[in-house]
Amino acid sequence: MNGASEQFLEIGWLLERSRPRAMGLRLGHAAGLFLLIVLLSAYLSNLGGQAARLVNALWGLAMVGLMGAMLLVSYGAYRKAKTEQQRLICIEELIRLRRWDQAAAMLQQMLCRPMRTLQAHVQALIYLSSVLARYNRFDDAIVVQNYLLENAQLDGGTAYGLRLARAMAMLRQDHLVDADRAISELRRQAVSAGRALPVNGGEQPDSPYSLSAGLALVEMYRDVKTGHPAEAVQTFQSALPALREQLGHRVADAYMLAAQAYDRLGQTAQAQEHYEKATLLTPAVELHRRYPETSGLNEKYRAASWPQEVLS
Amino acid sequence: MICAETAINKIRRDLTVGAAVRWSLAALIVAGMLGGPLMDEAGALAMVLLLGAGGAWVALSLRSVRGSQMAAESSTLIAAGQYEQAERQIAQALESFSIFRTTKLMSLHHLAMLRHAQSRWQESAMLCRALLKHKPAALSGMDRASRLMLAESLLELGDLRGAYENLLALYDQRLPLSEALNLLGVQLSYLGRIGAWQAMLIGLPARVPLIELMPPQASARSHALLALAAKKTGRMELYEWLRRRTELLADVRKLCDDLPILGEAMIVD
Repeated sequence: MNGASEQFLEIGWLLERSRPRAMGLRLGHAAGLFLLIVLLSAYLSNLGGQAARLVNALWGLAMVGLMGAMLLVSYGAYRKAKTEQQRLICIEELIRLRRWDQAAAMLQQMLCRPMRTLQAHVQALIYLSSVLARYNRFDDAIVVQNYLLENAQLDGGTAYGLRLARAMAMLRQDHLVDADRAISELRRQAVSAGRALPVNGGEQPDSPYSLSAGLALVEMYRDVKTGHPAEAVQTFQSALPALREQLGHRVADAYMLAAQAYDRLGQTAQAQEHYEKATLLTPAVELHRRYPETSGLNEKYRAASWPQEVLS
Repeated sequence: MICAETAINKIRRDLTVGAAVRWSLAALIVAGMLGGPLMDEAGALAMVLLLGAGGAWVALSLRSVRGSQMAAESSTLIAAGQYEQAERQIAQALESFSIFRTTKLMSLHHLAMLRHAQSRWQESAMLCRALLKHKPAALSGMDRASRLMLAESLLELGDLRGAYENLLALYDQRLPLSEALNLLGVQLSYLGRIGAWQAMLIGLPARVPLIELMPPQASARSHALLALAAKKTGRMELYEWLRRRTELLADVRKLCDDLPILGEAMIVD
């Protein structure tokens, strides 16, 4: 098997194989067949008499057959598209439940053959980029994200989310110049989106973070990575309400980065407080996996303890 | 502002007309297909009939697609909190004619979603009840989502028995993750209202990760409800842990304004 010999989640191969195939040929076949029937029936009708009556009867039967065949083909296509959609929902749920291995296996299986619709293809590739990032294959994740941003028609929110994820992957891979450029672009987009909002009693956001807490998180990570802890703390303080409102439990990431920034600034009491808050929401081991730069905090600060009833 | 009762009556009328048109067109198409071969003289007429009915079917289907697109857009607007725009989209979808049942029911479902998001529980419950009476196809997921909204609306209206019956009906079904999370949130609210504190704390190692997957506000509210249950049952370490997590996730004052019983959990002794 060609697919079995390929490396698990081999990006180039999966991108090539999964591209939806054009339906032009099948439609061409159907149109050709229809034209053939019309020409044949016109020819036989011209013969007149018995032949014309025979053509009429055959024409009726052919129409019934054609409609039946079209119904069957449409139903088959609908069923296959529906199955594909259900598998995508399943993959999404596996990712949300952090069952990465199962999600990766399903994605490999799904993407190793042409997908039925462009929309499903885009969705599957977005999930693939999440799984690759989870496996620390950030360069591969960036390839998929670039592919999507360059080739797929995405709505504004999805494209923005992908750019955020790509900026985060660039930071993880130390592509700092690219990341900085990407973050500046994201900031520009957030600012212009804020300006485009309708003014209802002066409700336009004064900070891009109120529209995009993700931007605040990426900027904090950049500042922590590039040795600008004061800026990271400033971003955290100004964006905290938005981070809490938009990220939910992922606000733990911001607390962890804030703890790292306070530690760099030598403010150990603040660092302890934020480290504890971060680990109250998410286990320390998971946060250190997401941000390897923070793993040193593990030895310096006390993590929040979780009650036994939740762990067992 | 769309009146719920008017919308329900309109949908009922449109469904009847839609079914009549659908069956009439189907009968004309069959007559057109069989008319030609069976009656020599009626060949041309049968062809005209066939083409006319087929054309009308295609045109009405395209119109239905436009209606379902409008309805689909409204759900995005509701999620983004743009209720006025969503109301306009739904009004247009309700006005447009469709031969397909699901398209019409979908617009009623979106109106119920909008009223639910606006916390207009009475209207939301009325719309969900009307929708469930029409038995939407299980495959569309409308029946589950409507029942879940109905349970929550009834809970907010203080109809605990009605909420319980609808929650019970949902336990028989296999729910996608997003709906399972919604169900868990409504279930915790229900158990909190009836004071079933022990039941709320059953299966915590599985429940807490699920609550973490909820949208931020719902997650904070569920945390606060669990904290209240832990306090009521005297499990103070668990209570403290849940209370502190709630404080990190949301504005506690706003949570207590929305659901006053949470005040007891959030007050530090």
